[in-house]
Amino acid sequence: MRNESLKDIAIKELLLQLADDDFIHSYRGAEWLGLAPHIEEDVASASISQDTMGHAAIYYKLLDELGEGDADKLAHDRPAKERRNAIILELVNGPGHYMKDPDYDWAFAVVRNYFYTQAKAIKVQSLHSCSYEPLAEVAQKVQMELYYHLMHWKTWFVQLLGSGHLEAVSRMKAAIGKTMPDFAGVFSLGQYGEEMVELGLIEGEAVLQKKWIEAITPIFESVGLAATIQIGMARGDGRNGQHTEDLEKALKTLSEVYASDKAASW
Amino acid sequence: MNVLLNDMAGEEKLNQFIARIEAGEKIEADDWMPEEYRGTLIKLISMHGISEIMGALPEKEWVPKAPTLNRKLGIMAKVQDEMGHGQLLLRVAEDLLKPYSKKRDDLMQDLFKGDLKFHNVFHMEAKSWGDAGLIGWLVDGAAIISQTNMLGASYGPYARALQRICAEEVFHAQHGEAIIMALAEGTEEQRKLVQDSINYWWESLLLFFGPPSKKEVGTSKQDITIKYKIRTSTNEELRQAFFSKYVKRILSLGFSIPDETLRFDKESETWIYQQPDWGKLKVFARNEGPRSQDRLSLRRNSYEKNKWVREALAPKII
Amino acid sequence: METRQGNYFEEFEVFSRKTQSSPIQYHFSLLAPNEDIAIMMAQENFMRREAVDDIWVVKRRNIRKMTAEEKKTLQRIDNKDYRTTKGYGYLKKKWRKYEQGMLDEKEIMSWAGGVKNEE
Repeated sequence: MRNESLKDIAIKELLLQLADDDFIHSYRGAEWLGLAPHIEEDVASASISQDTMGHAAIYYKLLDELGEGDADKLAHDRPAKERRNAIILELVNGPGHYMKDPDYDWAFAVVRNYFYTQAKAIKVQSLHSCSYEPLAEVAQKVQMELYYHLMHWKTWFVQLLGSGHLEAVSRMKAAIGKTMPDFAGVFSLGQYGEEMVELGLIEGEAVLQKKWIEAITPIFESVGLAATIQIGMARGDGRNGQHTEDLEKALKTLSEVYASDKAASW
Repeated sequence: MNVLLNDMAGEEKLNQFIARIEAGEKIEADDWMPEEYRGTLIKLISMHGISEIMGALPEKEWVPKAPTLNRKLGIMAKVQDEMGHGQLLLRVAEDLLKPYSKKRDDLMQDLFKGDLKFHNVFHMEAKSWGDAGLIGWLVDGAAIISQTNMLGASYGPYARALQRICAEEVFHAQHGEAIIMALAEGTEEQRKLVQDSINYWWESLLLFFGPPSKKEVGTSKQDITIKYKIRTSTNEELRQAFFSKYVKRILSLGFSIPDETLRFDKESETWIYQQPDWGKLKVFARNEGPRSQDRLSLRRNSYEKNKWVREALAPKII
Repeated sequence: METRQGNYFEEFEVFSRKTQSSPIQYHFSLLAPNEDIAIMMAQENFMRREAVDDIWVVKRRNIRKMTAEEKKTLQRIDNKDYRTTKGYGYLKKKWRKYEQGMLDEKEIMSWAGGVKNEE
């Protein structure tokens, strides 16, 4: 019996991590609406943010089916300390507000999106053989949309770094420098990580990380970047509820209307 | 051969052009067209296009705040469509601008300088979730009425862009209706959101269709667009159509319209209504509306901040 | 050699095909700095609500269009029945006389994938 309940906990933890990652990542993507470098790109990247929110909704729904509560409540009504997303995904797009003087950095958007999408693709691939069948099924579906997301962000990443344009290259390098120190948080499986691996839910952090490095190394090399890829969790592990003020603020905004009347139907 | 088109005298070209329009033929980007026609189209379509781009901003403000996952997805898709409509229309305008060597960058600069105007409704504030719903329901409703009127436009590329746009506008209107319906069937506070929105937006909705004639604001493009078969109905006819389609619907949900004089006159089969303050159109045209400057600055900010991206990827010509 | 900055906004025409067997269809034009970015933006700009099997992007300057004058060369007199089955419809009646069915378009196209043996 004990094993069973531990399995339940591990499944729920993993689902929360997957859902919260995609939810906040999509939120940051949506803040870019109307502000992308050109109109056609605005339209194209908006689809990716929608797909990503769609993935979060699917994971929240699995949690709902496991009795964790309604998907909207899970998305809108949990304080920062209960959120499991990686810290790198909650960081603001740049100084300023999405409605007033946003100083958003497209280089950071491209790097974070490319790194995250590649990491997500590797995790989702691993979930294909997840011992929790409903999640394995969902992983198949999610993967379908990741081909496009990955092509999209990889193209931007390679073209901007390969442009030979001084400002572009230096901005991109700075964005990589900003993303790496916290990026290991995306691979963290949190306090139940060992159980997740033992139960055959997903491969371990080290394996996932290694696959990710293998995937991005040739891309780094193709644009002449030294492939010494070192990632960490400088600001802590979001899987265990450690978060920044950026998340607090985001949660306040994204739940503003919802929180004005939690019982109402919207 | 002396019948080559380029050998024809100007008047002959014009006559042939008018004959093609009269026969219901479509004019294409590379075809000869009178300057007046080209100029009218450029004004109309670049303003329409840039209004879509600027129109994405008030709703974008509510994207992160939308109250459920489904509403977040719906409003994201809608804002994306607005940008997409801007894309289609600006492409059409850019092709018309070829003889003047003007490109998208020039259109953006025109917007920032205040030479290229955007629609009055997008100078207004979107203060609440009720406004986000109302924009979809009634502002898009008004837009559908004026855009469907031009589906048969004599300029082929515009007609084709509108075909795509109107198909998506149907989704927008229903997205707006869904938000409003949930609020209308909700709590007293939720219903108040809708009523406040109607009160705030009503005048803007009337202004949206433009003045009935030249005398209200000094100029009007409606005669010329009708002459060239770009649209079929007058501003007033479109406004009347809006009343006919929406007044009953607003009232049926138990909301009121902030105009005690509003009524349908059976005798003349027209809606009688309190005239809006037409002078406001000039205020918006000067970018002096409640949110004009904020939205322009947001647009300018994103354009300037991303300049390096456009520079970096511009192909190098050796 | 002098290098100068080209235009970030190159014009691309976008085409797609719904299924493997459908013809290529034109959609619209978009601006992009190069073809890789153009193809990456094409589906989401013009086909985000429809299924597609393939997408083509073509630089507009590589498309040779017809001038108004050249379009005149497309006109034909409607007297070319001899090119179509319409000009040979009388054969049906002829064959009937010999108690044979006509091998018309419908019959011939039905042979795709093999013909059933018959006496």
